[in-house]
Amino acid sequence: MSSLTPSRASMNVVSEPLVGSSRSLSATRRHKSIRKNSRRIYSAFQDHQQGSSDDEDKDDERVDSNDPEEMFQNIQYQKEIIANIRTRPWPMRRKLKVLKQAREIVLKYEGRLTRTRGYQTAGADLLKKISRGLYNIVVLFIPWEVRIKKIESHFGSGVASYFIFLRWLFGINIVLTIMTGAFIVLPELLAGAPFGTTRSKTIPKEHLASAQDLDTIWSLGGYLQYSVLFYGYYGRVRKIGSAGYRLPLAYFLVGMAVFAYSFIILLRKMAKNSRLSLASASDENFTFCWRVFCAWDYLIGNPEAAESKGAAIVNNIREAIVEEQEKKKDTSLAVLISLRILANILVLLSLAGSIYIIYFVVDRSQKLEQEKPELTLWEKNEVSVVVSLITMIAPSAFELVAQLEMYHPRTSLRFQLARVLVLYLGNLYSLIIALLDKVNSMSSAVQVVSGNWSDSSSFLATISQPDGDSLSTLVSELSISDHHNSTITTIATVLDITNSARSNLVAVSNQTAVFGKNTRSQQDQCWETYVGQEMLKLSIIDMIFTVASILLIDFIRGLVVRYLSDCCCWDLESKFPEYGEFKIAENVLHLIYNQGMIWMGAFFSPCLPAFNVLKLIGLMYLRSWAVLTCNVPHQQVFRASRSNNFYLAMLLFMLFLCMLPTIFSIVRYRPSQHCGPFSGQEKIYDIISETVANDFPLWFSKVTSYITSPVVVLPALLLLFMLIYYLQAIARSLKFTNNQLRMQLQTERTEDKKKVFQMAAARLQGPEAAADKKPDQQESDITSQEASIQTPSPRRNGSVTNFQSPVRCGNSLRTITQSASRADLNRGIVAGSVRNPSVTALPKHRLEHIPNRPPPFLGAPGGTSKSKSYHHMAFNPPAGYSDNINSEPLYRKTKCSINPMEAAGIIAAHSYGGRRGHTTRYVIVNEREPRKKLLRSATRIPRHYLMEESAEILELYPRNMKRYAARTAHHQPRPHQSHPSEQHLSEEEEEEEGQSRRRVSLGKAHRPRSLSDLRHQANFFIGDRAEGHLSGVKGAHPARGGYVAQKEDDLDDCEGDSGGLESPSCSQTSVKGADSVLVQTRCHIHSPGKPNQSTGRTRLMESYVRPKTRQKLDTPLTESDSGSLASSSDQQNSSTDQYIQVIHNKERYLKSDAKQSKIAKKKSKTSIDLNVDESNDLICSNV
Amino acid sequence: MGNKQTIFTDEQLDAYQDCTFFTRKEILRLHGRYHELAPHLVPMDYTNDPDCKVPLALIVNMPELKENPFRNRIVESFSEDGMGNLSFNEFVDMFSVLSETAPRELKAIYAFKIYDYNVDNYLCKEDLEKTLNKLTKEELTPEEVVLVCEKAIEEADLDGDNKLSYADFENMITRAPDFLSTFHIRI
Repeated sequence: MSSLTPSRASMNVVSEPLVGSSRSLSATRRHKSIRKNSRRIYSAFQDHQQGSSDDEDKDDERVDSNDPEEMFQNIQYQKEIIANIRTRPWPMRRKLKVLKQAREIVLKYEGRLTRTRGYQTAGADLLKKISRGLYNIVVLFIPWEVRIKKIESHFGSGVASYFIFLRWLFGINIVLTIMTGAFIVLPELLAGAPFGTTRSKTIPKEHLASAQDLDTIWSLGGYLQYSVLFYGYYGRVRKIGSAGYRLPLAYFLVGMAVFAYSFIILLRKMAKNSRLSLASASDENFTFCWRVFCAWDYLIGNPEAAESKGAAIVNNIREAIVEEQEKKKDTSLAVLISLRILANILVLLSLAGSIYIIYFVVDRSQKLEQEKPELTLWEKNEVSVVVSLITMIAPSAFELVAQLEMYHPRTSLRFQLARVLVLYLGNLYSLIIALLDKVNSMSSAVQVVSGNWSDSSSFLATISQPDGDSLSTLVSELSISDHHNSTITTIATVLDITNSARSNLVAVSNQTAVFGKNTRSQQDQCWETYVGQEMLKLSIIDMIFTVASILLIDFIRGLVVRYLSDCCCWDLESKFPEYGEFKIAENVLHLIYNQGMIWMGAFFSPCLPAFNVLKLIGLMYLRSWAVLTCNVPHQQVFRASRSNNFYLAMLLFMLFLCMLPTIFSIVRYRPSQHCGPFSGQEKIYDIISETVANDFPLWFSKVTSYITSPVVVLPALLLLFMLIYYLQAIARSLKFTNNQLRMQLQTERTEDKKKVFQMAAARLQGPEAAADKKPDQQESDITSQEASIQTPSPRRNGSVTNFQSPVRCGNSLRTITQSASRADLNRGIVAGSVRNPSVTALPKHRLEHIPNRPPPFLGAPGGTSKSKSYHHMAFNPPAGYSDNINSEPLYRKTKCSINPMEAAGIIAAHSYGGRRGHTTRYVIVNEREPRKKLLRSATRIPRHYLMEESAEILELYPRNMKRYAARTAHHQPRPHQSHPSEQHLSEEEEEEEGQSRRRVSLGKAHRPRSLSDLRHQANFFIGDRAEGHLSGVKGAHPARGGYVAQKEDDLDDCEGDSGGLESPSCSQTSVKGADSVLVQTRCHIHSPGKPNQSTGRTRLMESYVRPKTRQKLDTPLTESDSGSLASSSDQQNSSTDQYIQVIHNKERYLKSDAKQSKIAKKKSKTSIDLNVDESNDLICSNV
Repeated sequence: MGNKQTIFTDEQLDAYQDCTFFTRKEILRLHGRYHELAPHLVPMDYTNDPDCKVPLALIVNMPELKENPFRNRIVESFSEDGMGNLSFNEFVDMFSVLSETAPRELKAIYAFKIYDYNVDNYLCKEDLEKTLNKLTKEELTPEEVVLVCEKAIEEADLDGDNKLSYADFENMITRAPDFLSTFHIRI
């Protein structure tokens, strides 16, 4: 509520002059209405505050109803309140009160409703309670809340975003762990064949001795290799346990589900984030505003962080200032470009180098394995160590390189991120490719060996015979293998044989080199396990390196800097080593990389997610500890919210790329024959088709075969493509409209600014400043007030209104206006005064819309823009600087667009402006209300302001005061004008031109003259006016060939009327004449909108074509009404005038001049110039 | 969850949960914090809505607010008397608005109030200057301040009245990428 008071106060100020000028009654009344309206119109912001009281009122009102439907609605309404109360910006006390009330009502009346509804609501309540309880519990389990909060308070949201991201990843990994653990690992452990029962689950004897050695374990061999950690351990039995759990199938499905789940969760998160961040399309520029209002991170609660944040903000603002002042720095471009090229070459070289190194290392390790029976610790871990080293060192190298480039910090950060991401991806890819290559070469090596082997194998077979190992099958297999020597299957079988043979042989006979090789290759031959091992190894080594780097680079460095800074010759803390920075971006990238490894290896090593969970927990604690103890915040603040989706996008990218190798190997390679759940199958995915074929009813397999046949797949693909294309098209069009809207907004803003500038310039222009300036300023103030008041609502609607096609608006306008005018006519005599407002509104709209039809005049802008311009004009100071007119504020436009529709409503709304209006107005209002309620509220505001403006004018021009006062008093008289104006727009324009000029002249010419003089002149003029006026009109008709005869007639009538009125006034200044005159003048003067309009129109007039076209357009519409309208309006005026006269006898004379002049103008279409001159003269005389 | 001592009745907790973005636990924690501020003033038992207020000076010293350049304004704009004395209700309200889950519109409304130093419902130049000086601890030269204020108004002022109405402000702030993440205090 408090927010209302200022606006009220301002209105008081505005309306006070009115009160002063002997119109206390109407003034106060108007005042009230203004207040009322202002309250209603006041922005949503205020609405919120008021809303509460309204709601309470409503509560009270609604309680009484007994109609069940109503009651139900009431209850619904109350429930809405309950549901949304937390988002209302009320003080808590009110919220609690309203909540209590609403609850009571709901409770009290719910019982009266039908029973089912009662149950429903009771159920809903229960559900709500349960969900809230659940939520309360779940919140308890969100880990690290306090820790993150602490970090946030120290370093702000940027650093915290890393930890939140980490926590989120942790959550994902937990789910993945549960999936793999519950569906793969646990069943295998519980129901699968126990360790040592099958070949794939036993450690070969030769390795048994070293199986528990540390270095074997370290390289994930020995017991670890033959455990649930890796693919190879899982049995191939289709159903395990008493329940018949299909482990292989589950293995495959879970492997896929891991990817599916990750995708879904990622995409959902991204969608949510992007919804939160609105469509902030970055080219919306609020550089300074954001730097001022959004710079401070409210989370910061640590003095150091606050200080550095403050410094960062100062830097940031200074930077912006500098950027603003000189948009571009000119450093020598050639040097810069060459430097950048150099930098990029360096980066590319290092990328290529890292990829080569990785490939080389994998290759070497393979060779080593083949050549040496025993590998050293280094040789075993070479690959992962090298990869981790590269991932650790390269980013820093990139950072050094980036300094060469001298980009803006933000750009360089982006470059850095992109490069690091490429590096990580390159590493992972070269690693996996090298591994797969190794898998390939392994099998080919076996193949080569098998050539030499065939004879020995037969030998073996014979040897193994005594052992009774299903000899017959072996032999048969052998024979088959002999036949197809080269095929992989044979290799496998050969290996199989050697395998079985070996178990016997190894003990018995010494092995040749070939033998040794073969046995090893046989073990390695479980390539899935091998890949899984490598990934796990990589992950472990990566973790070690992370820990080491944290300890070394951050902790030790921090210690050194902290404690050795005293005994060093330079300042360690601020110069060279400094404290380690927490590089959010790199660290996040590292997390992403880590997650990529997990995804890549998860299929081959089901426990990888579980390991990752542990790793993330460790990382969380270590990192947060390190950050809090030995890091300083990064200087380049990486924008948190924007980066959120950036991180996620990278993660998604990573996920996709990491999924590819896995999918590739699943599809491309043959599963190992002796280990893993898919051994014995041609392809891993055969498990699905096999299951479908064996375990499902026949029809199902048929259906699946149909579904997977190209007949279905191709159309489905096509459909997908079409869908994508369609959605993309929609997105594009939306983007387009979005852009258009933004452009519109921008142009409006610039126009707005232009207008302000022009106003300022105009202010400076007038040499006789005092008189002119003041009004301008004040008016500008007023307009600004209006603007500010209106903006909230109009702007919101603005876009919507703008969308309406101008043509439609025009039509609606026309129809409305016509009806309105007719209504006015009917009421005419009684409520003549009422019409003014409507009239004013109408002409405007007309004008606006007309231009649309003949596009050439206005050019591109289209109807809406014009209408806007007109309105805008209206608001310009009466002095009517034509210059000012050009630019129009936003709100004007919106208002305009609204106005046309409500034209009729407006009439009613404005009617109360004048005295006359009071009684009549109510009637009208009532009639119109049902229809126009909404519209009216919007439209009313401007009117009020208009009035106020005029009031102010009074004050400003002390000399003219009386005149103005009178005019302001008689707002209604306008109708007179309005009718003609409706019919003949051009006339109005002319009049207004005249007015505006008069205005100008007022400012300058109103040197003191005696009142008597004025009167004389006035009278005199009236006479003249009438004559000139008539003549002018007549002259005009011929001049406008295009004019319709009827119109002319109407005009003549008008003239006649006016003439009649005036003639008495000439001789005696009869009441009628004077009044009418008054009315007219008033209309001109006090409708700030109008004068401005007029100026606007004058502008339009410059292009001759327009007026004619307009007339043409208008004539058909108004012809029928015009005659009657004119006459009626005159009558009305006269009546109103009489009234006025009674009240203000003194002022009458003064005004009469002006009025007369106006009358003349109105009626004479062509005699604009004459009128204008006259009016000027009049003014002078008046003053 | 069994609290030995009843601080709030269940209805009260429910009502608070309806009116804020907090969970039960958080409300209790908030009460704890509130109690800590002035142990002799604030009773532990809130079941009968005792009427007590903690003065601004104490609230401003909370670690969450201590470093905030706008701390006084924050507290003032949430207090009903405008002087910065907060009852528990207002205290909860404040942190509810500043909590992570509060919607952007709500935050924008209160942000506007906070930056509106002279409570005239417009952000005029003086408001901006004050904001800026608080933000930068008066490290900018007066010319720079004036320049920045002018620029800021020019950017966001849609209706050309040389000050920012709420609509202007909202329009600007809803497009700010990090408003949501930074206008946020974790309690």
